[in-house]
Amino acid sequence: MSIVGKDIPHDSAVGHVSGESVYIDDIPFQKNELLVDYVGSPVAHGRIKSLDLTEAAKIPGVVGLYTYKDLGGINKFGPILQDEVLLCEDHTSFIGEPIVVIAAETAKAMKLAKKAIKLDIEELKPILTIDEAKAQKAFIDRTYTIKRGDIKAAFKGAKHIIEGTLVTGGQDHFSLESQAAIVYPGENNQIVIHSSTQAPSEVQQVAARVLGLQQNQVICITKRMGGGFGGKETQATHPAVMAGLVALKTKRPARIIYTIDDDMKYTGGRHPFQNDYKVGFDDEGNILALEAHLYTDGGAANDLSTAVLGRALTHSDNAYYIPNVELFGYICKTNYPPNTAFRGFGGPQGVIMIENIIEEIAAYLKVDAFEVRSKNCYGLEDRNVTPYGQILQNNTLPRLFRELVQTSDYKSRLENVKEFNSKSRTHLKGISFTAVKFGISFTNKFLNQANALVNIYLDGSIQVSTGATEMGQGVNTNIQQLVAEEFSIDPKFVIVMTTSTEKNNNTSATAASSATDLNGSAAVDACQKLKRTLSECAAAYFSSKEVGIGNYSESIVFDDGFVFDQRRPRNRIAFAELIGMAYRERRSLGERGYYITKGIDFDWSIGQGNPFLYFTNGCAVSEVLIDRFTGQLKVERADILMDVGRPINPGINRGQIIGAYIQGLGWASMEELKYSDKGALLAHSPTTYKIPNIHDVPPILNVNTIDNDTNTANVRGTKAVGEPPFVLGISVWTAVKHALSFVSNDELPRLSLPATNEQILSRLTHYQKNTKSTKAKDRAAALAP
Amino acid sequence: MRDYILLYINGKEHRIGGEQAFVPITDYLRYEQGVCGTKVVCAEGDCGACTTLIGRVSGNGIEYKAVNACIQFIFQLDCSHVITVEGLKLNDQLNAVQQSMVDCHGAQCGYCTPGIVVAMCGMYNRTCPVNIETIKEELTGNLCRCTGYESIMRAGLAVDEARLFKADDHYPPAAMVRAFKEHVGSPILISAGERTFFNPVNVGDAVRFKADHAGTVIVSGGTDVSVNANKRGMAPTNLMSTSNLPGLTEICIRENVLEVGARVNLRDLELYVKDLIPEFYKMLWIFGSPQIRCAGTLAGNIANASPIGDTLPFLMVMDAEIEVTGTAGTRRINMNSLYTGYKTLALKSDELITRIFIPVPEKSELLKLYKVSKREQLDISSFGAAIRIQRNTKIVDAKLAYGGIAAVVLRMKKTEEFLKGKEFTLETFRAAGEVAKSEITPLSDVRGSSDFRFQLAENILLKFFYETADERELACL
Repeated sequence: MSIVGKDIPHDSAVGHVSGESVYIDDIPFQKNELLVDYVGSPVAHGRIKSLDLTEAAKIPGVVGLYTYKDLGGINKFGPILQDEVLLCEDHTSFIGEPIVVIAAETAKAMKLAKKAIKLDIEELKPILTIDEAKAQKAFIDRTYTIKRGDIKAAFKGAKHIIEGTLVTGGQDHFSLESQAAIVYPGENNQIVIHSSTQAPSEVQQVAARVLGLQQNQVICITKRMGGGFGGKETQATHPAVMAGLVALKTKRPARIIYTIDDDMKYTGGRHPFQNDYKVGFDDEGNILALEAHLYTDGGAANDLSTAVLGRALTHSDNAYYIPNVELFGYICKTNYPPNTAFRGFGGPQGVIMIENIIEEIAAYLKVDAFEVRSKNCYGLEDRNVTPYGQILQNNTLPRLFRELVQTSDYKSRLENVKEFNSKSRTHLKGISFTAVKFGISFTNKFLNQANALVNIYLDGSIQVSTGATEMGQGVNTNIQQLVAEEFSIDPKFVIVMTTSTEKNNNTSATAASSATDLNGSAAVDACQKLKRTLSECAAAYFSSKEVGIGNYSESIVFDDGFVFDQRRPRNRIAFAELIGMAYRERRSLGERGYYITKGIDFDWSIGQGNPFLYFTNGCAVSEVLIDRFTGQLKVERADILMDVGRPINPGINRGQIIGAYIQGLGWASMEELKYSDKGALLAHSPTTYKIPNIHDVPPILNVNTIDNDTNTANVRGTKAVGEPPFVLGISVWTAVKHALSFVSNDELPRLSLPATNEQILSRLTHYQKNTKSTKAKDRAAALAP
Repeated sequence: MRDYILLYINGKEHRIGGEQAFVPITDYLRYEQGVCGTKVVCAEGDCGACTTLIGRVSGNGIEYKAVNACIQFIFQLDCSHVITVEGLKLNDQLNAVQQSMVDCHGAQCGYCTPGIVVAMCGMYNRTCPVNIETIKEELTGNLCRCTGYESIMRAGLAVDEARLFKADDHYPPAAMVRAFKEHVGSPILISAGERTFFNPVNVGDAVRFKADHAGTVIVSGGTDVSVNANKRGMAPTNLMSTSNLPGLTEICIRENVLEVGARVNLRDLELYVKDLIPEFYKMLWIFGSPQIRCAGTLAGNIANASPIGDTLPFLMVMDAEIEVTGTAGTRRINMNSLYTGYKTLALKSDELITRIFIPVPEKSELLKLYKVSKREQLDISSFGAAIRIQRNTKIVDAKLAYGGIAAVVLRMKKTEEFLKGKEFTLETFRAAGEVAKSEITPLSDVRGSSDFRFQLAENILLKFFYETADERELACL
């Protein structure tokens, strides 16, 4: 019986469709529970002159008002650099940065308290653009570089050079469940935090640090999240710790639920980037040299920016071999909420630069962009080393390129697009093929570890606990299947339990697409320990029943709910029966598993190493239709082909692939974070911030995966799938660029991201004006004597 | 006079008065009743996570529509039956839609799922079989951030029609209908603190209340008022619902004029005009979402007076007339003189919009309606336009109205004058575009820059030309 590879439903699906799944704000209120909220900075950059809480404190129902002075621990933390405060002391560095935490018994009292807090703040000049930060040399952390070859010589020898700047915008996670936590006070200053977080251990650690507790006094529990996408990797921590503060101070349960508007306005999102590039290439489109400076908007504190920038740099090659490279990365310090993890984690912002470059090379040379991509694609035996020195093993990119260009009918469709554009006066079409090669593993080596607890009960049913958190991506179901597979039992006997720091300590965030890889492997390790014990019991039992076969635990087989000696397959006992025997033999029926990813390391001081265990690859072809009068964009068809190794659950993988692609399409074409000139976010709810809806799904959407059983480095030969397909949304953006190339005359079809209808129309108008003026010049020239 | 709202939730009767009448049904469900399947995400009707079915009496039965519960306050829900996600199982087993969502991986994080399941059950409760287009249309108002919707669409197509949720089988309507009919004739007055809610049962009482209580806010579908209550703290002292006013739900055609009662919701209007005025249908189809259209009314869109109201340019070029009723009786106001400034109407303080009269365009006329928004569906306009032209080889008459380019929706007088008498050619419309730009003053805001709107004001005339010129004219280009 094979359980891995089967399409079983998500473990929470039944609860989800009947409305019975419990999220933080669905937990019933306790009688004495308090609501928690806060007052934050009204300005992007300010100096607090005075703070008066006396009126607010008098309001009936207001139970507590707390500032940084009330924190029992250290008001400094951060996942990489400790450069963040929970509550502002004398300076504020972004709009909404928390200053006063309020505990109130009713929503009405909370509202009145917010109004009654008197905050006198001096407004200082904020930094609100990457250019301003560059001009003022306002950077966080240091410059990161990756270099290979000799770019000076390569540029000298290159026949063609293109230079440009690519600007990509941010993106809000838009998890439907916003940041949320409830904290229950316990005895001896112990607290239990229920948090909608991707990183329970981080919530625990920061709560202890900031509130002045030992880590063993804090338990953090995560049942599930209503969406995460990276937004709850570090930034679920702040609300949880604020509620923790209230619970500690008042000894009452404390609940904090951000509204979606507050979540959008006051927490960070995907990093905007501004990438300056210079590329040298030959007549054939072979890329000879690339120099690029990647400037990212880190916001007011580092958060995960160092790691995000690192991934942008290690993904600037994407699927393409570039012999001579110099990449530089800088984190700009601005007065926005700190930008943070978001599906892809800098990868998309690196990848889009090279995909953009290739599109421009094709437009420049007037050749098909796919040909340029094919020419530069990483090879199997040669041209297969990344700029940072990692050799591609079992490279599936050439195969993916070959297969998708066929199955998507790319070449004849490209001809149709050309034909269409030569005739239509009302619409423009574009088609583009892009790829993804996404490195799997945390780039921070020490995070690549996981532990798991597997308990077997006397009826043969199993509970598994790991550090992985479930946010809809199906990690629980994957682990359920991996564990069921080990014992060859029906997965209904395996439950993946609520994540808790009480069961799994010092765990890494559920992030980097690697939760199944790491936690699943740890669970499998625990299962294998248990199987050794159980096999010993079984072997002892069978040898006691049959004289002459001997006691050989290595002959024991677990198959389809039964256990037997492989030499006597008909003489079998049920799995549950064996558990009973083992219990009576006084054997341990719970084990802890452990896993570390081997063979990875990286040294940023030289920008070289082997940071990834393997790469998840894929490619997509998107075709778009543009209204020439309104700039309105429609994605008419998308074809996606992914290499995700051997699937654990093909249905879950498919959901990840399509969900990520559509989220990428949103980033590429419609999700736009508009700010006021004071740095206030204007698009802070679905009324003004547009994520894709059901009509934005391409009417023709072909999604396939290739068979690839070579990824033996990972558990069951599978590959991580959460983030990589997001990057394929870029093909929508490059398709727009392709469409514009039909009307851009001698200009390169330049575009920033997102390609909104407004931007597209502005580009179309620009090209049209240039055409007119060229024609006018021609006419004038013709008339000249 | 009653002092409570009568409603049923999943078949159980609730009588709600006092302060509780002034909260959204979602708060009542989640925080009073502890029934938490219905999720609130945006609290403004723009994500659909809170979708519930609301049933109201229709003939001798109950007709159910999917609406956004977060913007349905208790006081709006008199004589209705609310079905939430908790009320959809059949004998404690998943219904066919729920099972299909499980089998097809239609749920990932699960937060949007209750809304999607309810919307889909509402669809199957009404129509069966469905196709991919129906599914897309019915789920227009439901955002999902995880799945990319493909699995949801597959789930919608793969249901086992033998195990569908049918509201009338599950919640026999007879007793509820009886209770509603007993109650609907008695007016409701609920006071809580400083706030008063009045639910009149005839127009006379309604306008008298309005005359006696200055600043009374009228709620019909609540798709705008409730958003202001949730998001901007709007808490009017005096509120009046039109939900039990008789005679305002009629929609009919008389002498080629479409008459729309003030309580007619946009969804019913949309279906009514589908063949009658296809352009108007097209505009209504991209108006909000089905959940919004099932609650919101045409009268509400007019009264809201937004410079980007989706229906207003159309009503203006058609010279629609707005019937208003006050203590002095009934009068009609031409749509083009209704607005006196940003969000201000030429209505007396006691007057109430009771009916809208829309002349149906002649077959020989050219009529095109446009809405430009960041996302085609479920979005608010950056720019809107209505262009109505009578032509032979020349332009005989031209009526143009633009939205999103000034404080109110504007008739484009100069452009109209320019067009009249001109040849119907691309050059004419190109030149008209320049005139159009000269008579507008668009702002830059979150929905678009002023440059964008200027360009659209010009381009939309070219688009109109290309869409309406005949083949011969296009061939000449």
